[in-house]
Amino acid sequence: MNAAQLQPYLLTLVVFLPLLGAGLLLFLPREEAGQVRAWTLLAMGVDLALAAVAYLVFDPKGAEFQLEVRRAWSAEFGISYHLGVDGLSVSLVLLTGFLGPVVVLSSWKFIHDRVKEFHISLLLIQAAMMGTLVSLDLVLFYVFFEAMLIPMYLLIGVWGSERRREAAMKFFLYTLFGSLVMLVAILAVYFIGQPAGARSFDYGTIYNSLLSANRQLAACTQGVGCATLSPLALTLQAWGPLMFLAFALAFAIKVPMVPLHTWLPEAHVEAPVAGSIILAGVMLKMGTYGFWRFAIPLFPVAAYQFRPLFVALAVVGIVYGALMCLAQQDVKKLIAYSSVSHLGICMLGIFAFTAEAASGSAYQMLNHGVSSGALFCLFGFLYERRHTRRISDYGGVARVMPFFAASFLVVTFSSIAVPGTNGFVGEFLVLLGTFKASSLWLGYPVLATTTVILGASYMLWMVQRVFFGPIDRPENGGLRDLDLREGLTASAFMVLVLWMGLAPQPFLDRIAPATDRFVARAQLGTPDSAKVKDADVRVTVPPIEGAPPALPQPPVAAVALPR
Amino acid sequence: MDTTWLTKAWANPQALSANLWLIIALPAFGALVCGVFGRALGRTYVNLVACASVLASFCLSVFAFQAVAADPSVIVTPAANGVPMRFALSGDWGVWFQAGSFSAHLGLWVDHLSATMLMVVTGVGFLIHLYSTAYMEHDAGYWRFFAYLNLFMASMLTLVLADNLVLLFVGWEGVGLCSYLLIGFWYTDAANAWAGRKAFIANRVGDCAFLLAMMLLVLTVTAFAKAPGTEPPAVFFAQRRAVWTHAATSEPGPLNFKVLEEFAQYMPANLAMGSRGMLGTDIPIGPLAGHTYGHTLTLVFLLMLLGAAGKSAQLPLYVWLPDAMAGPTPVSALIHAATMVTAGVYLLCRMAPLLVMSPAAMATVAVVGALTALYAALIAFAQDDLKKVLAYSTISQLGYMFLGVGVGFFWGAILHLVTHACFKGCLFLSAGSVMHGNDNEVNIKKLGGLRKEMPWTTACFGIATLAITGIIPLSGFFSKDDILHGALHARLVGYEWVGPTVFAIGSLGALCTAFYMSRAYLLAFTGERSKDAKVPHAHESGWVIVAPLVILAALSIALISHGFPGLLKMPNGEPETLMEAFLKPVFGVADRLAIEAHSLLPEAERSPWPGFGIALLLAWAGGGAAWYLYKRVFPARAGKPAPEVFAAVRAFTVHKFYVDELYDAVLVRPIKLLSIGLFRVVDEGLIDTVLVGGTAWVTARIGSLLRYLQTGDVQAYAAMMAVGLLAGVGYAIFEALAK
Repeated sequence: MNAAQLQPYLLTLVVFLPLLGAGLLLFLPREEAGQVRAWTLLAMGVDLALAAVAYLVFDPKGAEFQLEVRRAWSAEFGISYHLGVDGLSVSLVLLTGFLGPVVVLSSWKFIHDRVKEFHISLLLIQAAMMGTLVSLDLVLFYVFFEAMLIPMYLLIGVWGSERRREAAMKFFLYTLFGSLVMLVAILAVYFIGQPAGARSFDYGTIYNSLLSANRQLAACTQGVGCATLSPLALTLQAWGPLMFLAFALAFAIKVPMVPLHTWLPEAHVEAPVAGSIILAGVMLKMGTYGFWRFAIPLFPVAAYQFRPLFVALAVVGIVYGALMCLAQQDVKKLIAYSSVSHLGICMLGIFAFTAEAASGSAYQMLNHGVSSGALFCLFGFLYERRHTRRISDYGGVARVMPFFAASFLVVTFSSIAVPGTNGFVGEFLVLLGTFKASSLWLGYPVLATTTVILGASYMLWMVQRVFFGPIDRPENGGLRDLDLREGLTASAFMVLVLWMGLAPQPFLDRIAPATDRFVARAQLGTPDSAKVKDADVRVTVPPIEGAPPALPQPPVAAVALPR
Repeated sequence: MDTTWLTKAWANPQALSANLWLIIALPAFGALVCGVFGRALGRTYVNLVACASVLASFCLSVFAFQAVAADPSVIVTPAANGVPMRFALSGDWGVWFQAGSFSAHLGLWVDHLSATMLMVVTGVGFLIHLYSTAYMEHDAGYWRFFAYLNLFMASMLTLVLADNLVLLFVGWEGVGLCSYLLIGFWYTDAANAWAGRKAFIANRVGDCAFLLAMMLLVLTVTAFAKAPGTEPPAVFFAQRRAVWTHAATSEPGPLNFKVLEEFAQYMPANLAMGSRGMLGTDIPIGPLAGHTYGHTLTLVFLLMLLGAAGKSAQLPLYVWLPDAMAGPTPVSALIHAATMVTAGVYLLCRMAPLLVMSPAAMATVAVVGALTALYAALIAFAQDDLKKVLAYSTISQLGYMFLGVGVGFFWGAILHLVTHACFKGCLFLSAGSVMHGNDNEVNIKKLGGLRKEMPWTTACFGIATLAITGIIPLSGFFSKDDILHGALHARLVGYEWVGPTVFAIGSLGALCTAFYMSRAYLLAFTGERSKDAKVPHAHESGWVIVAPLVILAALSIALISHGFPGLLKMPNGEPETLMEAFLKPVFGVADRLAIEAHSLLPEAERSPWPGFGIALLLAWAGGGAAWYLYKRVFPARAGKPAPEVFAAVRAFTVHKFYVDELYDAVLVRPIKLLSIGLFRVVDEGLIDTVLVGGTAWVTARIGSLLRYLQTGDVQAYAAMMAVGLLAGVGYAIFEALAK
């Protein structure tokens, strides 16, 4: 079997290899913590290698979705096992793969309790996150999306700190509420998209079936052809906004957008290091990814209609999140609120509907994964030594832990987007793209730019209080610097920060085609919709492999929901 | 004598172009080595690596400078512009990042302006590296120090060599970052680290404005290139590409300096469109549609001025520089006097062709510069800390450079930048030498009498003091007074009052400069040794410290050649200085565009000598006043309390006019309070407790209410079912009847 033959199985492997690892762990004795860790690390490492192969194999000039596989699963309901990646998702897959081994390494000494269960949870989350990113079937997507919740709930609830139960409960209920609402919307889309018998949960199929209706609707908002809307377009006109909001609610909670963000600081504060890294590094991006893949392309007209709301919320999030950081006494809470601010930039980039902003937003997702993952990981090392999160309990740490301080500073500079680090490229492109979005008020990007000042204020304030000044507490005097394992983890982050900052173009090249399609799909709902060509937005749907040839079905009219 | 070797490039320009990146890479590599392996390498090797990398960079820079200065064949742009232009070594290392229609290249170039800056940065930089090997001799963090210093060199060189604004911004923030690290170098003292943070955030306020300016500029240029009626953008960019660079393989991006210059060429063109050419017309498309090009450019440059004010410590963002003196003294000399703080001047000069499109922005630059020059000089009156005196003096001198830029006297600003780098570098290094020999004492009232004990240092400090004061025949005289002369004769259209006004303010500032510098010199170096001195006898520093002082002092004298009027003659017979002639290929375009755009009109050249006479008189007056007060009046009054009025004024000045306190009360505290208030009231109170908690509470209450339905009583369930059934049937009947 050569490499080319393996390709269809690559994504399946990426998703299910961690699951396999989890299965393997079940057979290990629970007292063999070292073995458990080693096997988990191995599984994560191989998964990273596979993700890297997928990333390298992905051809930016090729088809939209690559490495696709589509098998029959539940043909009577139109559900298929359909995996595939585009430029954005393959980048996020790589990010997820990278954070896998990091998470294991960062909790190597931190977790002593129920080690086996902990690592099984890690592997389950990894599989679920990978699955969410590569699913091209809405049911499959939903299953993975929900599957992330349970092990994460356990991570926070079992291995968290003092108030872990409330935090875990809040996290779970909040996100579950959102995704249940989304489930309703998924079902609704399923029912209206196609006549009975031809119905499908396949992303591409649904998108293509809504395409002409969306076009008619967009024209209608310009006052053209409102009298001749097709039944589907009429349905979309009446129910599209609600369905969009249902999707958007689920994803906005996940992002999280202000004012739906209060679960995040609590979850971060209570979660163990691993939980924080996964949460900040990847899980929040499921929200932005959801907007990018589902909420906006499927309902471009409604998205355009609600765009002012979301842009305003994103900008509020950027400024408000940064202001919240200034008020924090707790390191992890500060980093959590900084995530609210940074994700605001991602959301702004998505809703600007320009190529620059969308590219920047996608890049910012990767950057935030690296930099906030690194911040939580590095702070975890310090927390292991001192067991306090209060900023005022530290001071002068740089003196006793110079290498640690240097790494933390590098990551801080990435987080505040100093040019030369990865953060700058993303932030710059998002701001530029938002400026270029003609229909947006120029005040939005101007306000968003203040993040340059506020970000530096709170991050350097925290760095100042933790690392500089005299050592005024004896407990801090005896801290030892990073050991080899920790040093390697920190170095990996530093290399990425500089690499992605100095040579961003190879990463952006992979994102670019996804960006162009996303912007075209978003433009479909704007007054410029007529300029968007069908060929640029239509999704190519592969046939289901191994399915019996479909019987010719008598066409039945799509259900028109009451208006 | 055969002089052909002077007029030919020593090194092949093509080869130099291809290797320009080495100028940056060498110090960057040095930083990496010192930072990662420094502790293991030991002091000698760290010193060697740090100095050698900068020296190598300096040598390359010399070759580049010489090639640009000597060889007219490097690149000759078409003479269609009217000004013969000799450009530039340039290299392009491909796209840095690109998205949508925006792209930024990793492109470097050396034209006459950046060549000048290169010499200053690497030359002074190397001397200060050398000096630091002795100065930091006893510091355990030497490897960290040299890593930061090398990193600073790499950033500063990126800033100077970048051929587009985005790459320049990398260097721009990079130097700010290194400045942050170096100010807080002795971080165990919290005050130092706070000073570093203050510097970074003040810079960031400027950088935010700079970013906004870049965005607006992108919008403007893109709109222009895409506007119907002008050439299609592909053609617009492609035609220029062939002209500007050897190596560019794709569109250079809208923030490339040559693109911006080309854009500027179009602005005043076609005067038929109104008295102000394109400047008066509306931008046709894009988010800025409806605003005129002229107004947009004014806004861009006001923002850019704020950015430059952050980096170059001008009003209103100067507050960080005095605090930055917390860093080691070589750092103050290199970063906070000679190089980094001049980046704002460099930026505005770099943008000169576009800057001259907006007389309003230029007037603002000039006024800000003049006010800063006077204001900082006034504060310097009352400072007793030698380094603080020099810091305010730097702010003040940078003000003169801004003044020069504002009145369109670009070469004068750059000349002053160069001479200032030499004499202020010399002053700071001398101050360092004084600290080195006096157990880190910086209070000039606790020094005194160093003349006998530290003769070399005293001589160098003295020469540099004379240079900054503006005494003939030292370089500072011509560079500063060239600017003032230029200001007097500049006519900014619509802002004619600006020239004479800034001349008056600037001259007053010159008077003050002479006073406070003489005061510092007299108190620290002459007279008797103070009774409060930390050590009874100071000792002269070793040659590694003295040699850079001597070289810089010598340069402070020698550079007079470039400001001396009348050494050269222009084609029309008017006198021209060496510096003006040297920078003509860069600023010739701006000068021509200024006339075409009718924004800055030249006056008939007048002899500068009367003005120079006045300036010389002012310098003598200031110095004399200081001598009279501190040598005659105060010693005679020793022991008597000062009059109350003076005491009050002095207190006000010592506290720097309470500006720090004002910013704290008006900006810093309110924002902090706002954030704490928002956090407690909105985040914890409204959102988390009322909305989220409220939802949970309501859900729980409804749940408990519904619990009463779950009685477990079968009869009750049956009754309920019956009621429900009846209601349903009743509704159905009602519906049927209604139809």
